[in-house]
Amino acid sequence: MAYEKVLTRNVGRPAARTVAGYKKAGGYAGLAAALKMQPEEVVEEVKKSGLRGRGGAGFPAGMKWGFIPKDHDGPKYLVCNADESEPGTFKDRLLMEHEPQQLIEGCVICCYAVGAATCYVYIRGEYTAANAIMEEAIRDAYDAGVLGDSVMGSGFSLDMYMHVGAGAYICGEETGMLESLEGKRGQPRVKPPFPALVGAFGAPTVINNVETLANVPHIVERGADWFKAIGTDERNTGPKLYAISGHVERPGTYEYPIGVPFRTLLDGCGGMWRGRQLKAYIPGGASAAILPGEEHLDLPMDFDAIAKAGSMLGSAAVMVMDETTCMVRSVARLAKFFNHESCGQCTPCREGTNWMELLLTRIEQGQGREQDASLLSNICTHVAGNSLCALGDAAVGPVKSLVETYSGEIEAHVREGGCPFPPIRVFGNGNGGPQDSVHGAAGEAAG
Amino acid sequence: MSEPTGRQGTGGPPGGAAAPPPAVGGGYGEPWPAAPPGEPVLDQAARTRVDELLRRYPTKRAALIPVLHVAQRRCGGWLPDYAIEEVAGALELPPAEVYGVVTFYDLFHQKPVGRHRIRVCTNLSCQLRGSDEVMEALAAELGVDEGEVTPDGRCSFTHFECLGSCDTAPMMMVDDTYHESLTPERAVEIVRGLG
Amino acid sequence: MPTVTIDGRPLEVEAGTNLIDAAQRIGVQIPHYCYHPRLSVVGQCRMCLVEVEGTPKLQAGCSTQVTKDGMVVRTDTSEVREAQKGMMEFFLINHPLDCPICDQAGECGLQDYAFKHGQAYSRFEYEDKRIYPGRERIPLGPNVLLNMNRCIQCTRCIRFTEEIAGTGELGFFNRGARTEIGTFPGKPLDNPLATNVVDICPVGALTSTRFRFAERVWYLDKRPSLCTGCDVGCNVTVEHRRGRIRRYKPRFNPEVNDYWMCDYGRGTFERYETLPRLAAPRLRAAAPEGNGGGPAPGVSAPASWGKALDAVAERLRAGGKAAVLGSGNLTTEEAFLFAELARAAGVASLPLVATEGPARTIPNLHGGITGRERHPNRRGAELAGFGGGEGPSADDLMFGDAAAGLDVLVVADSDLGPAAHDEEAVARLRRAGFLVVFGWADTPLARAADVALPVATHAEKDGTFVNVERRLQRFEQAFPPPGQVRPAVEVLAELLAKLDGESWAGVGTAAAFARLAEARPELAGLDFDELPPTGAPLPGFDDHDETMEKRAPASPAGRDGEDQGV
Repeated sequence: MAYEKVLTRNVGRPAARTVAGYKKAGGYAGLAAALKMQPEEVVEEVKKSGLRGRGGAGFPAGMKWGFIPKDHDGPKYLVCNADESEPGTFKDRLLMEHEPQQLIEGCVICCYAVGAATCYVYIRGEYTAANAIMEEAIRDAYDAGVLGDSVMGSGFSLDMYMHVGAGAYICGEETGMLESLEGKRGQPRVKPPFPALVGAFGAPTVINNVETLANVPHIVERGADWFKAIGTDERNTGPKLYAISGHVERPGTYEYPIGVPFRTLLDGCGGMWRGRQLKAYIPGGASAAILPGEEHLDLPMDFDAIAKAGSMLGSAAVMVMDETTCMVRSVARLAKFFNHESCGQCTPCREGTNWMELLLTRIEQGQGREQDASLLSNICTHVAGNSLCALGDAAVGPVKSLVETYSGEIEAHVREGGCPFPPIRVFGNGNGGPQDSVHGAAGEAAG
Repeated sequence: MSEPTGRQGTGGPPGGAAAPPPAVGGGYGEPWPAAPPGEPVLDQAARTRVDELLRRYPTKRAALIPVLHVAQRRCGGWLPDYAIEEVAGALELPPAEVYGVVTFYDLFHQKPVGRHRIRVCTNLSCQLRGSDEVMEALAAELGVDEGEVTPDGRCSFTHFECLGSCDTAPMMMVDDTYHESLTPERAVEIVRGLG
Repeated sequence: MPTVTIDGRPLEVEAGTNLIDAAQRIGVQIPHYCYHPRLSVVGQCRMCLVEVEGTPKLQAGCSTQVTKDGMVVRTDTSEVREAQKGMMEFFLINHPLDCPICDQAGECGLQDYAFKHGQAYSRFEYEDKRIYPGRERIPLGPNVLLNMNRCIQCTRCIRFTEEIAGTGELGFFNRGARTEIGTFPGKPLDNPLATNVVDICPVGALTSTRFRFAERVWYLDKRPSLCTGCDVGCNVTVEHRRGRIRRYKPRFNPEVNDYWMCDYGRGTFERYETLPRLAAPRLRAAAPEGNGGGPAPGVSAPASWGKALDAVAERLRAGGKAAVLGSGNLTTEEAFLFAELARAAGVASLPLVATEGPARTIPNLHGGITGRERHPNRRGAELAGFGGGEGPSADDLMFGDAAAGLDVLVVADSDLGPAAHDEEAVARLRRAGFLVVFGWADTPLARAADVALPVATHAEKDGTFVNVERRLQRFEQAFPPPGQVRPAVEVLAELLAKLDGESWAGVGTAAAFARLAEARPELAGLDFDELPPTGAPLPGFDDHDETMEKRAPASPAGRDGEDQGV
């Protein structure tokens, strides 16, 4: 049976950005249904659905909503995490640019369920276009009565605002985001207390990823059972957007039931680029362990199966690498990313990510030493588990997998006093043959 | 099986620049007329926007980052000390604290930048698809190293971390616009067209 | 109160106490940098990681609180030690090898923990250390210098200026490995409490301009004392070498100055070196001695203690109109003995110099204490008998003609105020028939005296002061007075023995205090040798200064929360 898209039905149809257009395509039925339920019932339905966070942590969304105190004297907030800075991830941008009303609907339902009267969408500052579209969509939603006083005449009121970031990956971390929302440096907080009790402006706060919230209207409209029927098992349910990039023919965002085998995903985007050999892929963003391609060709792309294989689904940012890819160079680039993005508060991350970038750069440039691999490994053990937030652990991910799976490449660099792989030359001489880029008008071969 | 769910961008021509954002007067991403020297950075128009922003939050401090974006646009893309002081005063915050916020984020600059800011993504997916070559081409075209401003003040360029457009790699951001699916030639062409 | 087990030892603590404070109660020192009992908890340095049973990762002791029974903590497992070694290695990889030129050596958090918790080698061999070019000796303000290369980004200094001083001059700039502290251009670190950041900085990133390169700390002897800059009575430690004070550091007293003192107070010991020292007793001869040899009439020349004191006793016995002019610089015991001397000599007039000065506020948990006087012990002097009563006032003597009507004027303090250095005021005081001046400083007033008696500075004697709240506090002698200088109490006891009988012979500070306590109901029950460590509130005690906000400590550790860390 062909898979019917859930989250990306309206992609490529600008009319659906308005409330009227979205409703015509079937939208806001979820919200209408939710408003007829008790808030607790909505929370239960989301819990039952098994929806797990789509931002990277995979924490059950319904359970998170359940942590919000019911009788709370004071404001409560929903902060939608639209910071999307995880390397390889671009699905939330798609959702905001093409399905803004779906996100709004999900946010309204969530706020209704937990009793929040204000929702901030924290969007990364680089997403100027998406922000403009969202602002427009929100304005339209106010006009149409799905935001503001008495949403859909229900008596439940909600204000929703876009809040623009200014370029910091760490603001995608829950409490880093809250600090940034409050106008400070995006430095994650000590937990406990957790945001469900002390979040934005000291109030109970739900923080959910864009894609997570985009699922909510469908769960409420069609039921948790319907949602659970999609996916692998009751711990891995629902549709999933996979953002695939790197050495594939047609990089893009693809919607599948969660748990699609990697082979299917790869075939669905046209297979390997230029017909090259698959070497490895990263299943879920920069902190996920690198998986050798051959061994994991049929790996179901869900939370648990990937975890069992030693990596993580994370944000489902799939980065595919062919046989020309130097793992040391790739991991060095990721180490540079983490070093750049470390907030600098805590010692192991601040110093550890810095040290790892220096080490890996040195190895890539040919000045590696024999003991560097074990040194890297040991630095990882001192960072992992000891940092204030998860960025430290994330930074360790690719480095650890390099040392564990590709130690041979490190040794080759040390032995040869340089990188054994050719420099990346996509456009010019070096990789031979005309370029068969899929990038349309911009794809003329160089030279 | 599933069809590609479309390229990123706002539905503009495939492979080219994304369509400019719809005009939503006074919003983020809008150009602000530069503040003439000696004039307050937060002029009447800016203050109207600041007031609107302040209404969104329970604290003044929370409006800081959106207000800094406005102030930065009023100062030609960077934040001189006097602008930071003015914002600090407007939001009743210690200047050192505002300075700490400004220096934390990659989109805020404390030194002059070119009239056009070029940010080339060089993270993994873009690196795999040739961002190094785009950077080289731009350096050759502009005649400056990354992080520097061209002598005529027209452009500054820098590498950047993942911009969320990995499926159209390599790509770059010029001011508020994404330019996707680049080749080194295309990148140079775009830059040559900047005023 | 919940019970927590730390390293196998059960302990009951107030709910909300964090593990660092709790462990300290039983003498277990969990190492830490960023935590400070008076600053917000940030959990950044990761030095305090300990094992908490039931949690998979190590937990930061500063941000983990004991809230109910059953928590089991271990601070000594191999995993904890491994984490400490790892953290220490991280701290040191980018830290400059500055120990030979760094003020902090000998009292440095990195040195101490590297020795105790670190490993003996570094594996950061082939990379370049991070540096902050141009930020190696930046004056953050008039009193504090920054060397950013040494900073370990613990943010204690930033939190201090925000939360305690309330001035917020310091900020955290940049991100990640480039993070640095600094001030906004044009807004330097310039508040009365600024130098406290030097105390709380665990390393030599922040140094005091006053103390920079002054002395190696392992040469310093340390004694508990009190600041004499105003009447707050901040507890200090006098750090000295070979009879010279090199530095004051605040001494923890949660009831008075907590962990702090002000920059002005830190500099007050310098006065002991700025003013010339009265080194020996001086006597102005009344008539030529012997056959033309000896000092000319009216010239003041060094004399022995015996001769000088005899001269004073003789004039006091001779009677006539007399006054003893005191100041708030006197200790309570000295003031008492001066008052007794006056009584023995039939002198009823004990004027006290007025001592208003700029307001100085020191924060503590109770709302702070504000002192408004230049001298530390006006209240103690009054308690002992000075001020009020008959006879000319201090102003009459210094700025009027009252001294001309006196046969004898005893000035108890040669540095009693600006008048001691003012030609005109000195001339007015000189109009008394016989002028006796006690003091440590050889001021114009001392030089005008008929008898000048060199006595100890407060660092060279024991004594008590009564502060603005009416709290009696004791300070200890740091080093003996030099040469012929003697503690005033000793000198006064000898004089009293001459005038009033042998019962005064050998009376020292404790005995003087005891005699005063017999006479004054306010001191009933107090023993000089057994005073409460935070001072003794006297009747009329008023600690309701609310110049600053009341604050809560980082965790309910109370008096035991003295920061044993770096």
